[in-house]
Amino acid sequence: MDFTFPADDDPRRIEIRAWFEANPDPSGKQIADRGLAAANWPEPWGLGADPEMMLIIESEFERAGVVMPSLHNPIAVNQCGQSLLAWGTDAQRQELLPDALSGKSQWCMLFSEPAGGSDLGALRTTARREGDHYVINGQKIWNSGADRSQIGVVIARTDPAAPKHKGLTQFIVDMNAPGITVRPIIDMTGEDNEYNEVFFEEVRVPVTRRLGEEGDGWRITMEQLQTERQSMTKPGAVWGMGPTARDLMDGLIKTGRIADPLIRDEAARLYIEGELLRLISFRHLSNKINGKPAGLEGNAGKMVASPHGQALTDLAKRSQGVAGMVYGKDVLPLPDKHFGLFDNWDYAYWFSPATTLGVGTQEILKNTIAERVLGLPRDSDPTARMPFNEIGRASPKAA
Amino acid sequence: MNFTLSDDHIALRDSARGFLEKEVDLAPLLVPGATVEQAGYGPLWTKAAGLGWPGMVVPEAYGGLGMDYLDLIMVIGEAGRTLASMPLFGTLAGSWAIEAGGDETQKAELLGTVAAGEAKLALAVADANGSYEPGAAEVKAARDGDGYRLTGTRAFVVDAASADRLVVAAELDGARRWFVVDAAAAQIERLDWRDITREVCSVRLEGAAATLLAGDADAVWPFVRDRLYLVLAAESAAGIEAVLADAIGYANERVAFGRPIGAFQAIKHQLAEIAGQSECANVGVQYAAWALSAGDETAPLAAAMAQSYASEAYRAATHRNIQIFGAIGFTWEMKNHLFYKRARCNAELLGAPSRQREDVVRILERKAA
Repeated sequence: MDFTFPADDDPRRIEIRAWFEANPDPSGKQIADRGLAAANWPEPWGLGADPEMMLIIESEFERAGVVMPSLHNPIAVNQCGQSLLAWGTDAQRQELLPDALSGKSQWCMLFSEPAGGSDLGALRTTARREGDHYVINGQKIWNSGADRSQIGVVIARTDPAAPKHKGLTQFIVDMNAPGITVRPIIDMTGEDNEYNEVFFEEVRVPVTRRLGEEGDGWRITMEQLQTERQSMTKPGAVWGMGPTARDLMDGLIKTGRIADPLIRDEAARLYIEGELLRLISFRHLSNKINGKPAGLEGNAGKMVASPHGQALTDLAKRSQGVAGMVYGKDVLPLPDKHFGLFDNWDYAYWFSPATTLGVGTQEILKNTIAERVLGLPRDSDPTARMPFNEIGRASPKAA
Repeated sequence: MNFTLSDDHIALRDSARGFLEKEVDLAPLLVPGATVEQAGYGPLWTKAAGLGWPGMVVPEAYGGLGMDYLDLIMVIGEAGRTLASMPLFGTLAGSWAIEAGGDETQKAELLGTVAAGEAKLALAVADANGSYEPGAAEVKAARDGDGYRLTGTRAFVVDAASADRLVVAAELDGARRWFVVDAAAAQIERLDWRDITREVCSVRLEGAAATLLAGDADAVWPFVRDRLYLVLAAESAAGIEAVLADAIGYANERVAFGRPIGAFQAIKHQLAEIAGQSECANVGVQYAAWALSAGDETAPLAAAMAQSYASEAYRAATHRNIQIFGAIGFTWEMKNHLFYKRARCNAELLGAPSRQREDVVRILERKAA
């Protein structure tokens, strides 16, 4: 066991640092051409970087003040673009990945539906085959960045007669295709919208844009959500990003508010939990370095991380008292670094209810952990084995 | 960067687990009215000493195995998981006090007998109020020729009744110093400690002959305290795994309303939460063990964090464990209460979790200043 990180004079670091010094304000294309957009991917897309190399690259991006493509365009780089490596065709990779990695095309996920959120397998959007195309009809919701995306990854039902999880297939669609309408959702923060509804009306997608085979959709989707949850096991208050308990403790010490006994013990408790989350993310990383297969541990991490972030932003708010109830008012200082969207406690706090809803609610996560990690019996779903198109026709008990 | 247990660690853990699962029998403690006298303290220690456990972390120069704290928690964890009753805590505590506070001759002599399995130790620091800091109730040391004599009482001394020698904190010339006393020279009384898997005693000294540890007295308690935090935290983290596994087993077997109770979200969500806390406790303990082994500057912080988190999570897990078993888990004949009591006592023995959180804030305040 060893917690030393790649040193300043590590030759791998020197090489990356030199590149950033030669390219102080690199374009997305330059980053992608150097293999740094998704360095963990194999060549030619990435550098085949191991997790330790990824640590170096991450810290050199930060040092250079350049935002990583995986933060700008997470669906393209992390969650879904990655799926093309395993499930895509060569033609799909050649067509889609260069623009995904350079940031020329933004990607979004089109999974949740008004009737299929926690019970994602109950989704109703259909894709019917017509010659060389599929025709998609339905409605998606809670789609981050769909209004600014060129590419969407959609899961739809291709076989309504199969059980609900079996008849699903993923497609990669052009968001400007005729029949797609994107409508922003104004969330409770009141800030620039992040989420959208997306409507599909007779949208034609070529067969060549199907990811995997018909019926692979559920498995691919679960892989993508697993990747996303693991990436959220970090000490940041919002989706693992943003300010941490270290930043909260710094702010409380600087403002002297740490002396308040009603703040002090709770701040210490959160500080400790934040450090343990940091250690869990190191554990994930270390297991990758040691070639241990990634398990379901990302689920447990996110289960701890989301309420941690909520408690963190709550204490930040509470320490500001009534003054913190004014829009955009931050009494508690934050260090001068890049927190992306969540660069102030005020927004992080009012956003925080979302973190136990997104990527599976807290309750769904607990089910997943209890059933798939701890081996407890599955929740009963009377509709799980029925043909999807018979659900609701008769009462499940009669069926 | 490597935060994965090595094959050697896993082999050590597995061999300790195999040994303790065979040797530890909680049945005598599950008879109502049982006390620590039925716990089998002595016989288990004899066998553990045969495996070299007393000298695991004693430096090789003094006759020990010179293993690091990650190795140690592999064994401590299994002792915690099985609630193995033996005077390991006291012997470790006394050895660390001697390691930090003795001169070379004392270390060679005293630690050598420990490592050889010839002497068991206990560390007497706390007063009757449970304070580990020097105070009005401090034991007093007086010079007597070349030696010293100690008078006063110490409380909450783990493993004192099993010990051959006691390391005692006492006041000499207005400052706390550390002395070694033959256990035979002290009046030792077992407390009716709630955790009957651990022997906790009071110690009375009336002019007991003592040897002064000749090294740096101020260095002793911080050195020992951080390591004892690690020991308790490692016991607790493994104890959480044990009660979680027991509760999962029961939830899969016990049927109500036509289904195993583990199928109900009211049960499975509790178990998922314990699993999350178990993971947190586990990484905290392993990090603290690494930091102490490496002499990293974060070690005191890491040890306080591990003890605070793990002991509190252990309390929560043992509580949920009894609730999931239902009323049967509230009976003396079941082992649930042994874990519950161990958890509760672990969270008080060296000061409450909120006390260690206060330590954490103070360390951070000093760093920021």
